[in-house]
Amino acid sequence: MGVGGAAPHEAAEDPWGAREPVGRASAIRPFLLTAGRVTGGGTAPPIPVETQIVATEDGLLVLGSLTFEHHEIVAACRRPQSVAELAARLRLHLNVVRVLTEDLRAAGHLAIHRPNAGTAQDISVLRRVIDGLRAVPDSRGTLRDRD
Amino acid sequence: MVFVPSPTHGEHSVTGTEQPPQPPLPVKLVIAGGFGVGKTTAVGSISEIRPLTTEAAITEVAAGVDDLTHTPGKTTTTVAMDFGCITIDPTLKLYLFGTPGQDRFGFMWDDLVEGALGGLVIVDTRRLDDCYAAVDYFEHKGIPFAVAVNAFDGEVQHNLDEVRWALDVAEHVPLIVFDARRTGSVRDALLVVLEVALSRAEAAEAP
Repeated sequence: MGVGGAAPHEAAEDPWGAREPVGRASAIRPFLLTAGRVTGGGTAPPIPVETQIVATEDGLLVLGSLTFEHHEIVAACRRPQSVAELAARLRLHLNVVRVLTEDLRAAGHLAIHRPNAGTAQDISVLRRVIDGLRAVPDSRGTLRDRD
Repeated sequence: MVFVPSPTHGEHSVTGTEQPPQPPLPVKLVIAGGFGVGKTTAVGSISEIRPLTTEAAITEVAAGVDDLTHTPGKTTTTVAMDFGCITIDPTLKLYLFGTPGQDRFGFMWDDLVEGALGGLVIVDTRRLDDCYAAVDYFEHKGIPFAVAVNAFDGEVQHNLDEVRWALDVAEHVPLIVFDARRTGSVRDALLVVLEVALSRAEAAEAP
């Protein structure tokens, strides 16, 4: 794994504060969070970047007892989002988020919705995406920072 | 985009307990090309959220004509990756990932590209070299893709035949001109990629 820049870790104070593409994640903190693990511990391939993560009812019930990144991740996942969005918004390295979300899933705090392997060749899905994209107007209004 | 509630997901629970919402089916397109070619601009032109950045690991394969062993050295590098999304409907969400390009290296985005519907390779005709690796990658992986020349300032320096020849892009690969700053233009470029993906999927299903 390469070494990132030395941007301060600001996510703990304001995970939603970043209005612009966020800076580089901390170089050292990820290793502390994951105890040096870079994959989910098992032999399964890493979850795809678009994999949807959502907090479970149990996760939200125990939210008050979770700390730091575990708390931030479960809290952010009240609203389903991809592992990539989670990493960007919490300013954590993608692979760190993969490890942490797997831990939280094992603990029953998160559900991980891994996309099906055959989706990319699914004709009905492709047609739906094409129809949906065709409906995008020639110009858009102001971008939302979040929905 | 018009938000049409689906029969299955449109009703929000108003009961006392906090029910976790059902996530959409996520699909993705990959937008590739050299540095400064307009990837992030293209994502931002059509994404419904301001593009986000995350750090991802890519494997670089050191390329070189003097490598006689055919076992290129691999190194993993952390790179910034920009992305955005478009909600197709409450059950389907399209992500657009801008993959980082690296000069003088082949690179493998398997981690990012796995499961992608297709790819769009953005080309700046002033720096054609920057997009060879992306074209090669999609060809090699068999991922549906199109090549889009970004018309900086509305101008393209070369005609498309010259670009196709210079990049050695196969005839069956669509080559278009677009403007990364315009929503409609990016939309149409992505539709070209999706039509390639659809015809390939239909051909695979044909008896």
